Amino acid sequence: MTSDNTYEPLLEVRDVTLTFGGITALNGVSFGVDRGELFAVIGPNGAGKTSLFNCLNGVCRPQLGSILLGGAPLTGRSPAAVAERGVARTFQNLGLFEHLSVVDNLMLGRHRLMRTGFGAGMAWWGRAKREEIAHRAAVEDVIELLDLEPYRRTPAGLLPYGVAKRAELGRALAMEPALLLLDEPVAGMNMEETEDMARYLVEVRRETRVAMIVVEHDMDLVMDLADRVLVLDFGVVIACGTPEQVQSDPRVIEAYLGGAA
Amino acid sequence: MLKGAQRPHHRLVRGYADDLKLWRTPWSRFGLAVLVTVFLALPIVVQQDFWLSVLIYAGITAIGAIGLNLLTGYAGQISLGHAFFIAAGAYCAARVGGDLGLSMPWWLLAAAVAGGVLGGLIGPFTLRIRGFYLAVVTLGLVFIGEHVWRNYTGLTGGNSGTPVNAAAAVGPVDFSQLTIAGETYSRNQGYFWLVWALVAVVALLAKNLVRTRPGRALQAIRDHDQAAEVIGVRVGRHKIGVFVVSSAMAAVAGALFGSYQQFVSPDEWTLLLSVQYIVIIIVGGLGTIFGSVLGALFVGGLPALIDRYSTTIPGVRSGAGSDGIITAYTLNAILFGLLIVLFIVFEPRGIAAMWLRIKAYFTSWPFTY
Repeated sequence: MTSDNTYEPLLEVRDVTLTFGGITALNGVSFGVDRGELFAVIGPNGAGKTSLFNCLNGVCRPQLGSILLGGAPLTGRSPAAVAERGVARTFQNLGLFEHLSVVDNLMLGRHRLMRTGFGAGMAWWGRAKREEIAHRAAVEDVIELLDLEPYRRTPAGLLPYGVAKRAELGRALAMEPALLLLDEPVAGMNMEETEDMARYLVEVRRETRVAMIVVEHDMDLVMDLADRVLVLDFGVVIACGTPEQVQSDPRVIEAYLGGAA
Repeated sequence: MLKGAQRPHHRLVRGYADDLKLWRTPWSRFGLAVLVTVFLALPIVVQQDFWLSVLIYAGITAIGAIGLNLLTGYAGQISLGHAFFIAAGAYCAARVGGDLGLSMPWWLLAAAVAGGVLGGLIGPFTLRIRGFYLAVVTLGLVFIGEHVWRNYTGLTGGNSGTPVNAAAAVGPVDFSQLTIAGETYSRNQGYFWLVWALVAVVALLAKNLVRTRPGRALQAIRDHDQAAEVIGVRVGRHKIGVFVVSSAMAAVAGALFGSYQQFVSPDEWTLLLSVQYIVIIIVGGLGTIFGSVLGALFVGGLPALIDRYSTTIPGVRSGAGSDGIITAYTLNAILFGLLIVLFIVFEPRGIAAMWLRIKAYFTSWPFTY
């Protein structure tokens, strides 16, 4: 992207290929995400967007290619190990822990930043207690940022859908991630809820400067918020660039509207 | 200036340390004081060996039930192998406390370590299986155990069982004949204090576990194991960890059981014992610590009540040759089964949920919610 040799993007995806049996979900996908960038991935159904996320956070192992975060490889690591390196993710159909309160869900986001083990936890003495208090305070910052105050003690399973989506975003933010993966953050929301979520995403960006990769079907949201957009179709990158470039790309129009031929 | 302005509201939280306190409100502290008073006074007020013995068994069961609730209620791992770890603890007490003659802290510790190690060996099986499959695997444990207990006579005394001479004594303090200020207390009184003090300790350890990082991780694994992994929870490590803790608690319960009963035989550690523990945590309340204790009291106390008052319940035969259509034993079995059905259908979250509802009603009174 630049001729400067020392330049290194936050995330670098090189020639990633993922196959399930005879189906190629991703085929030689390459791109880079810069620090603080909001990077969107779009594509028709079955284009490989969720597969890409699964590769990024270690749920799936690509057969070929490599993924580097800050120069260190992520490929071949378990999801927990990837999370420990600072990759957070939200799920398309909610991955909250429904019997736990919002605070506990957010505290679980802090899991990777905490150290208390079984012994120290049971003793609740010294570090275990100090750690709980310190991280509870950190969680409160996220609660404030996302206006989750009324729901602190509500079990996540009882939250209204829009709030649950926000709580899940909160849990990911509580991880203090280097890279945030958002899988359809506004799926199933009406216009008002979508605008709310967009506002929160803008605010989160301003506050934390975290790099985000967003998979989303809502084109207005993507084109408004994203710095760059990657378009996938049948597991192949067909375009990558600013929203304006992508929107005018004939291959993108063909993938979305179908070829005239 | 208002006089009251200097005094904050009794429920004011001034920091996260306040927020994380176990006994936050004056009412909860009052409740704690009542519990401590009952604990101290009960053996003196109720001196009958029958009732004390029922409560001692219930306390021992409560310790094992807290362990199983951590595993099943909090971490979502169903285990039918609890009887195996209880047995291991009892035999450990027989050998370490009886044969080696070590004092109580040692045989309790030895039982906990033995249970923990066995649990750590079984734990890895949970990494690949869950739900009913895990239940079946842990069921196998009961049968393997049965074989070992019956045949490894050096450790267990074989079919005929083994005496457990593990003394409940720490230095000069012997719980089987406590002497405080010139007053000597009976064995049952001493064991009541010992067992229920240990219930409190184990409950506190468990409560601390579930409100800190590892315990939250366990509940995350129960609710959504894939999401737990994605936020950085090492699922395997935590599953094995909870198996270790749960089995250690089961073994401590077993050791106390052996020490109190002074004799154990392989006939005790059947599948029925494991099932009984599962009933206790379901009736008490899955995923609550105090529910485990309530469940143990309820499931342990009800048969005793029926036994005791079988003569006054109409239609119950009190002995061979007396009138009545049903024996106390059969009535117990029927009620036990009925209770399981009723609780699962009407109150699947157990006595704990009932209690929480009552508490919520009075906290928000006069409003309904």
